[in-house]
Amino acid sequence: MTAVLRLSYLSLRTWLRERITLFWSLFFPVFVLVLLSAIFGGADEERYMRFHIGLVNLDREAEHADFSNMVEQAFAHLAEPKAEGREQLFVLNTPGEEEDPEAFLDRTREALRQGHLAAVVVIPAGFSETVGAALHGTAAFLQAEVKLLYNHGDSGSELAASIVEQVLADLNRQVLVQANLYERDQEVPASSSWVGTADGAVRYVDFLLPGVVLMAFLTNGLFGVPGSILYARDERILRRYWVTPFTVRKYLVAYSMATLAMCALQLALLWALGSGAFGARVPLAAPLPGLYLLLSAVTFLALGFIIASLSKTANAGMSIANILNMPMLFLSGIFFPVTGLPVALQVIVYANPVTYLVDGLRVSLDVGAGKLPPWSTVVVPLLWIAVAVAVAARKLQWDVDQ
Amino acid sequence: MKQFAALTRSELTVFVRDRATFLVTFLFPLVFILIFGFIMGGEDVERVAVGIHIAEGADGEVLREVLSQRTGLEHQTFAAYHDLEKALQDREVDLGIGWDGDELSFLFDPAMVQRQGALSQLAAGVASDVNLRRQGLEEVLVAEREHVGRAAAANWFNMTVPAIIAFSILSAGVFAVSGHIAAMKERKILDRLIVTPMRPLLFLLAVMTVRLIVVYISTLITLFTAMGVFNVTFEVDWFRYTLLVAASTVGMMGFGALITLVVRRPSSAGNVANVLVIVMMFLSGIFFPVEIMPPFLQALSRVLPLTYMAAGLRHATGVIDMTGLRFFAITAALAALALVLIPALARYVVRPERR
Amino acid sequence: MSKPREVLLRVTDLKKAYGHVQAVGGISFQAHRGSVFTILGPNGAGKTTTLEILEGIRVADSGEIELFGETARRVTEQMKQRMGVLLQEGSFEPYLRVHEVLKLFSSFFDHAVPVDEVLERVALKDKAGALVRTLSGGQKQRLAVGVALVNDPELVFLDEPTTGLDPQARRNLWSIFQELQEADKTLILTTHYMEEAEELSNHVCIMDHGTIIAEGSAEEMARGLGQDSIIEFEVPELDSSAASALSAAGLALEHDDGTAVLHAPELTKAMAGLLSWAEKHDVPLTNLSVRQPNLEDVFLSLTGRRLRE
Repeated sequence: MTAVLRLSYLSLRTWLRERITLFWSLFFPVFVLVLLSAIFGGADEERYMRFHIGLVNLDREAEHADFSNMVEQAFAHLAEPKAEGREQLFVLNTPGEEEDPEAFLDRTREALRQGHLAAVVVIPAGFSETVGAALHGTAAFLQAEVKLLYNHGDSGSELAASIVEQVLADLNRQVLVQANLYERDQEVPASSSWVGTADGAVRYVDFLLPGVVLMAFLTNGLFGVPGSILYARDERILRRYWVTPFTVRKYLVAYSMATLAMCALQLALLWALGSGAFGARVPLAAPLPGLYLLLSAVTFLALGFIIASLSKTANAGMSIANILNMPMLFLSGIFFPVTGLPVALQVIVYANPVTYLVDGLRVSLDVGAGKLPPWSTVVVPLLWIAVAVAVAARKLQWDVDQ
Repeated sequence: MKQFAALTRSELTVFVRDRATFLVTFLFPLVFILIFGFIMGGEDVERVAVGIHIAEGADGEVLREVLSQRTGLEHQTFAAYHDLEKALQDREVDLGIGWDGDELSFLFDPAMVQRQGALSQLAAGVASDVNLRRQGLEEVLVAEREHVGRAAAANWFNMTVPAIIAFSILSAGVFAVSGHIAAMKERKILDRLIVTPMRPLLFLLAVMTVRLIVVYISTLITLFTAMGVFNVTFEVDWFRYTLLVAASTVGMMGFGALITLVVRRPSSAGNVANVLVIVMMFLSGIFFPVEIMPPFLQALSRVLPLTYMAAGLRHATGVIDMTGLRFFAITAALAALALVLIPALARYVVRPERR
Repeated sequence: MSKPREVLLRVTDLKKAYGHVQAVGGISFQAHRGSVFTILGPNGAGKTTTLEILEGIRVADSGEIELFGETARRVTEQMKQRMGVLLQEGSFEPYLRVHEVLKLFSSFFDHAVPVDEVLERVALKDKAGALVRTLSGGQKQRLAVGVALVNDPELVFLDEPTTGLDPQARRNLWSIFQELQEADKTLILTTHYMEEAEELSNHVCIMDHGTIIAEGSAEEMARGLGQDSIIEFEVPELDSSAASALSAAGLALEHDDGTAVLHAPELTKAMAGLLSWAEKHDVPLTNLSVRQPNLEDVFLSLTGRRLRE
């Protein structure tokens, strides 16, 4: 037993000395956590959004331009830096003092086409008049239209457009309230609730952190086994063990222990960072989540063994791991939900053990309503482990050919 | 020049015979396309499925009217609230709305983390519309959208495919140097070449030539796969496309050269390259809009070559418009990156200047 | 004895230091056409550094190099065309075939020999189509030698060519080198194997700590130690009375590491004395051997250390 413990400990130490291991196993998951939180974490709370838009009021010269001015003011207000605790939402391009509005419109339209602006808001001539008429109910279904130029298919432009629409909807209400047509106190109360046991929207970092942890474990298993074991076999390092009383079985135990220790290290690091720097609150140390984490680590280790059993060389194994890595990650719901897929891909999703583990883990942490029957989240990974044991026992070569 | 021909042939042979590298190079962008095509294609941002439940005795007409008037929204009614909840969990609907005559309740799936913002906005919009209607009012001012870009940019996927191609070029270019050449240096294969009269620059040109061929073919495969499998259409300007792919490939090799020059150890060069490539992937606005990132990341995005490569390719495939000046400026800048950095690579990495 | 032929390589006062360590501390030597010039020395003597300077991949701090009659501080392109280099360490692309590797390297030179000829020379003809990754260590080294010969060079540098090879592979390479010499090539060889120097070379210089401490043919240097024969036998321990008895008989004995070594100016007399002493003191003369001095003895006498640590 001491031999096993010693090898296990030494394996872990050598891994931690290798830069490549440090990079992929420790640095990379941390990096993904930080990057994605930085990018999406802000979107949650709408803290960072800033769009460059153009705004032209063609109604300015009108006699009673109060409504068009109101619209203009609303946007100008949102373009003020640091207004009311939120970041500046818009950066406005408006016509210069002496500039012809039509010419400006052409110019900004072109700029929008070229992608320099996210959207262009055009208040047409006669706008205020139309609004006034609509308010006085002189014609049914009279609506004043604000033209919103945008780029369909460009996600930034789409987002800007929907935000502009929101601004206009608020304005709409304001106008109606001011005209004493709309009674605020007659508003219907609206409440929000969430399915499942959650009592609020899940915070992005709480959603992300379990996913990143599983990603880290997956990397260990998929790349670690072919990388270390096959490499050691090919370089005849393993042969040196086999000529001693040290058996394959003991080696496996030692290796697995070292891998699990590595997983624990990754977990600790990610958790510390996630809760310390990003305020994640998921209780990763509770028994049920802990069970899923352990199950995941073992399952991915098993998958690594399957790859190693079916690869002739370390290089081939690593390539297979590379090719499998992406689909396994993306077709599992770790980063975004997988729905509406053609049958062929659905098969992969349902065959993918990661899918089950992610589901089970997230449910146990209360950060997601599970879509799969709870028993399957444990049974399917166990099945994979069984398959791995069977395959490896038959096919894994422990020594390289003479 | 026979050295060049021999080196090119040798590099090509090595590339083709190394099955693993060969497959990964071609499969890599394809896997991305397939995954994103199916996943994101299913998540059409425009269409939202709403489920409603009207309590016994309540009048749901107003709500239904409001929902019907919204474009991009489909709704269905559920007899039991429980069924609505289940439908939401099963992703049959994205949003649930309950109306009991007095109060509107919106039901969300907490797992829809990334769409939460958009759905909340939608809910607020519906609530406000309902309130208007109940008071017998209509909107007095509305926004009318007008799409201004090219007709070919029919959907998000059109924009994404050229971006993925740009990313695969980035990857292939950078790793040709900080992966392949760095590995040759580490395994001392480069040493054996260096002690002969072989010209280092010719060697680099040979590697570049092989990469250009391989990358170009790979982009074509990716492009046609997207067109065939997902029915997207492109109007490719072949001259500009070829020019940009070529300039990008060598430009990114130049970038790889920069990494290899700065990071002394060949094995570390590969890792650093990996990090930078992934950072670029996330920050260049390929997969999600730059505008949702904090300002410093937005600024960073503006200096990443990938941002411009993606834009250029979108233009060359007819998805967005771009002035000729801008396009050729981008192309020239990428080529310049190669012209400056690759000779430096010849001097300092492929030369046997040991201490 | 024919006139010595032209000098193909002349090194004058070559120096190279790394920080405080003087790797090469002012060495000078020359090699004539058709000779096999060996630099023999332990690891760290500066042999590889010297060779790398001559191969053009390192720059000397000072000193002069004359190759093919041309003097230079650094090796030029033209010189490279006429020489072949076997590096101490290196590999080839694993996915290339043997003949492809040779063809590739041939393209680097203005004049190259047909690949078949090279294959013949290094006995790899039946492996012409094999991928590099399937070759054994010895075969890989023969390929490397082949690569050094693609341009039919007049001068060939061989840096530790047989280190790490099994005896059979080593002998194969030796016979190749002998054939090269018979073909009138000039070989510059470095090694830390004494047998290699003795077997292959007609001119040896011994290098230690960056300087040349002896030079000449193997026999000359050995003869320089005198006409003494060397008697060796194994004995674990020798008690002092026995030892003093032996020296009293006029036989100087060194005992080191279980081996006793005697230098005997007159062999017959020494043998007689030894045998009677051994009988008297009951010393079993295990593994008794008599031999002539060799280069290891030369090195030992010059430095007090063994050639092979």
